[in-house]
Amino acid sequence: MPTTSSPAKKLFDTVLFREIWEAMKVTFRHMFHRPMTFEYPREKRTIPDTHRGALALLRYDDGQERCVGCDLCEAACPSHCIKVISEEDKTRPLQRYAKEFYIDITKCVFCGYCVEACPVNALAMTKLYEYSTPDKRTLLFDKARLYEIGERYLEDGKRYLYAHNQEKEGEESRAYRYQFPVPVQKTPNA
Amino acid sequence: MSQETGQPTVTLTIDGMTITVPKDTLVIEAARQAGVMIPHFCYHPKLAPDANCRMCFVEIEKMPRLQTSCSTKVAEGMVVRTTSPTVQQARKSVLEFILANHPLDCPVCDQGGRCDLQDFSHEYTPPVSRFTELKRVFPKEYFSALIETQMNRCVQCLRCVRYCDQVMDVKALAPQGRGTLTEIKSFGHHELDCEFCGGCVQICPVGAITSRLSMYEFRPWMLKRAETICGYCGDGCEITLQTKENRLIEVNSTLGGGRNNADLCARGFFGYHASTHPDRLTTPLVRKDGHLVEVTWEEALETVAAQVGWVKDEYGPEAIGGLISARCTNEDLYLFQKFMRLVLGTNHLDSSVRYGYMNAIEAFRRVQGLHRWTVTFDDVVAADTLMLIGTNVTETNPITGLKIKEAVKQRGARLITLESLKPVRGTISNIATLATHHLELSPDQFGIGVLGLIKAVFEQGLVDSALEQEAPEYVGALRTKIEAITWDRLLAHSTLTPSMFHAAVRTFEQGARSIVVVGQGVLRSPGGYATMVNIHDVLLLLGRLDRPGCGIAALAEENNEQGAIEMGAVPDLLPGALPVSDPEARRAVAASWGQEPPRTPGLTMMEMIERAKTGHLKALFVVGENPLGSLPPSAGVAEALDRVELLVCQELFLTETAQRAHVVLPACSYAEKDGTCINTEGHTQAVRKAIEPLGESRPDWEIFSALSVLLDSPMEYETAKDLTKEIRNMIPASRVLGPAPLPPRPDREVLRRYILGGYRDDLDGRLTPPPVTKTTGTMTLSFAQSLFHSGKFSTKAKGLLKIQSAGVANLNPQDAERLGVRTGDRIEIRNEGGSAITPVRAWERVPEGVVVFPEHFDQDLRQVMSVTVDPRTGVPYCKLARVSVEKV
Repeated sequence: MPTTSSPAKKLFDTVLFREIWEAMKVTFRHMFHRPMTFEYPREKRTIPDTHRGALALLRYDDGQERCVGCDLCEAACPSHCIKVISEEDKTRPLQRYAKEFYIDITKCVFCGYCVEACPVNALAMTKLYEYSTPDKRTLLFDKARLYEIGERYLEDGKRYLYAHNQEKEGEESRAYRYQFPVPVQKTPNA
Repeated sequence: MSQETGQPTVTLTIDGMTITVPKDTLVIEAARQAGVMIPHFCYHPKLAPDANCRMCFVEIEKMPRLQTSCSTKVAEGMVVRTTSPTVQQARKSVLEFILANHPLDCPVCDQGGRCDLQDFSHEYTPPVSRFTELKRVFPKEYFSALIETQMNRCVQCLRCVRYCDQVMDVKALAPQGRGTLTEIKSFGHHELDCEFCGGCVQICPVGAITSRLSMYEFRPWMLKRAETICGYCGDGCEITLQTKENRLIEVNSTLGGGRNNADLCARGFFGYHASTHPDRLTTPLVRKDGHLVEVTWEEALETVAAQVGWVKDEYGPEAIGGLISARCTNEDLYLFQKFMRLVLGTNHLDSSVRYGYMNAIEAFRRVQGLHRWTVTFDDVVAADTLMLIGTNVTETNPITGLKIKEAVKQRGARLITLESLKPVRGTISNIATLATHHLELSPDQFGIGVLGLIKAVFEQGLVDSALEQEAPEYVGALRTKIEAITWDRLLAHSTLTPSMFHAAVRTFEQGARSIVVVGQGVLRSPGGYATMVNIHDVLLLLGRLDRPGCGIAALAEENNEQGAIEMGAVPDLLPGALPVSDPEARRAVAASWGQEPPRTPGLTMMEMIERAKTGHLKALFVVGENPLGSLPPSAGVAEALDRVELLVCQELFLTETAQRAHVVLPACSYAEKDGTCINTEGHTQAVRKAIEPLGESRPDWEIFSALSVLLDSPMEYETAKDLTKEIRNMIPASRVLGPAPLPPRPDREVLRRYILGGYRDDLDGRLTPPPVTKTTGTMTLSFAQSLFHSGKFSTKAKGLLKIQSAGVANLNPQDAERLGVRTGDRIEIRNEGGSAITPVRAWERVPEGVVVFPEHFDQDLRQVMSVTVDPRTGVPYCKLARVSVEKV
């Protein structure tokens, strides 16, 4: 409000409650406006692809586990919430895999370093954020839980990797990061 | 000339720094001394330069091209540049070629994080390769149980091949193929079959050769390291136990560290899992109603204290005995004997040195007035002539074996072997193949062999003239005795000729630095002590006993046998190896202990067993020792243990002896405790804790300390360090905790006493060849140590069991043919003691008429052995027997 108005105008405004009308104008305008809030959980927000939600382990399209148990996510994690126990796959000699994989999501700071460190893009972040629970123990995600999330939110995970330019969309996704050589066994007669 | 050593030196400039190094140093080594690291793959200080990787290029002024610094020797005024643009360019190109084929599987490679190629690539190459071609992939023929090769990662530096040949003398690996398709393989289309020293795994600069035992269980940055001493043989190798979350992951050794200088054997490299075997005892056990029941420490210790207190009051301290294993640390051994002597008041204590090493110590004490070697491993390496008598050194003490190989192969020493080996190459190295003179003897003939040496010394007129003047009587007595024995009688049952002995002693005498290495073949076979004294005579006659760089090296089997002697864990010796009977020594000990040790003579192991059999020994403490599993049934250990009223075992596992115990207390293995131990050459080294004790197990010394408190004469120590301090104050010789031991010289006074009369005591006995009763059809069965095991402890190590998991009787192929058996068949071994059936293997290195069986798997076969006890040292001889062998 300008303070340097004429006394006549001032008087006129006072008599007519002009300030109240000004305020009511905003109020009435909003009566016809689309509501700004979401009625969570009935209504949900659209989340961008880069969103850092719950972590997931992904599989290749043929169902094979992407994770090779290299422990690099564990090394990259600033809050030490990842624990990988890896060993040699008894059925496929010389192939490394994660026998156990834990993420203590209560400790996780959602920095996404683990996803960046992963040489095979096995880890990704999903748009899942609804896992509050009365039982804190369920927040230690084990390998089964992480793959389950990965299966349910595979599309989210892939979108996250594309958005962060870690994996290319389409056919080449599997070959984009290095595919480790599989030892070839000579047949005895070869 | 350098002032300290008198060696010629060279001054050169490396990257602007002026440095003076000894002549003939390689440029790469000189640079390292100047603090400049030149990247390399194929160079290794232990190996001869090969210059095949081309990574170590440097620019040297006035030389036309870049030079490989690993094969160029320094020269006066040389100017070397290691970081010039040309050099950088060359390194980049070399790496680019290596990376053209090296797979980018660092994330799944066990070497990732400590890989030379990874480090150099970070430093010298661009992040993206210019090569788009496919990388080579080698097909695999087999997967190995222990040493796995992933040839796709190989950079073809051939370090492994050269190590296997130059250092180990095994020659198990070879490069195959050409160019980038060169592949490291073993000979034949089967798994690697070698000494499994792990050298190739350790020396590989990339991840091409890795250990299957710890494969993918770790990343290098997760590992915690503990520099400790290997718990198997007497060589006392320094090992780095690498652990992750209180689990043993792998073993390494450091170049330039310990007495082994980065070399290990199969036991050291693959045997570490014995400590954490699932069968380990983790809670104290007390026998209740005939069964061993788990109880608390309090209950177990109180039971022991009450019972042993009762035995002491009822029957006196003389009714209590104790046995301890020489695998314990000095602290355990020291406190054990202090506990027995002060708290219980008895001298009846013995350790596993009694199985053989005691023969050497008694002979040392008698002739030289010492209880340790007068030489070190360094002297062995620097020796001109070496003589091995009954050592089978590759299998018993592999690292001593490497020192001998180094002396022979790299320094041109001449080697004389009196071994029960045929000089044939096999999958594991054979020291006899390196010998200038090899005298092949049956395992029961080493005594005869030494007599032959004495005879040859006289016949060749090699007797030291100074000795002849000083002690003509001694020389004369020996001469008369030995001349009375004819060669025909000595060599009745061997193919040797007198001239072979003549040549051997002549060669031995030619070296200025000559060392005799004596092994278990001598120390553990009947007459071991006499033979040991005779070996002293040989050296005395040649004038070699008292000369620097010369001497006798007797090999200990267990890692701390020398420590057991020095800590006084034998009945007649106090700490510092002072005799119990010497009042002066007892006063000296009392000054530290505050109380005098008992003066009654103690009993040896076999005497204790005898006393227990007659019911005079009522209580027995057995610490890590397993007499029931080590001695044959005919020794009567079982009967003895049955009559004992209190048997307390401190053990890692429920052994045969522990199964009969009244109380079993869980002890820690070497990986779980601090302390010191003394290796066979007399060098004190630190044992450090790598993991927390398993379950409720405690270090042995803590158990003795707790018991002493309950028995009202407390010996309290807070840590093992306090004990170490007490030991160091008492025993000056154990203060040496440095890079190398300081060997003592023989005591001239004792030596004089010996040659002027001391030799007479048993001259008749020891200069008489033992009567040989060889009948046709019978063979000599020898329980020998295998390279892949040590005692019974290593049979709990899963890695070693993958190499050797059961006992196989080894026969000469000719004998096998005579018996009509082939490798894999079964034979029956029989004599008056009993019989047993075992699989058989034809092995070229076993002499004819001999059956060699690994002692680690002797459970069924032990019954054919009989025990004879050495009259002077009380050593039980039970490793040789005459048996008849038949095909089953």
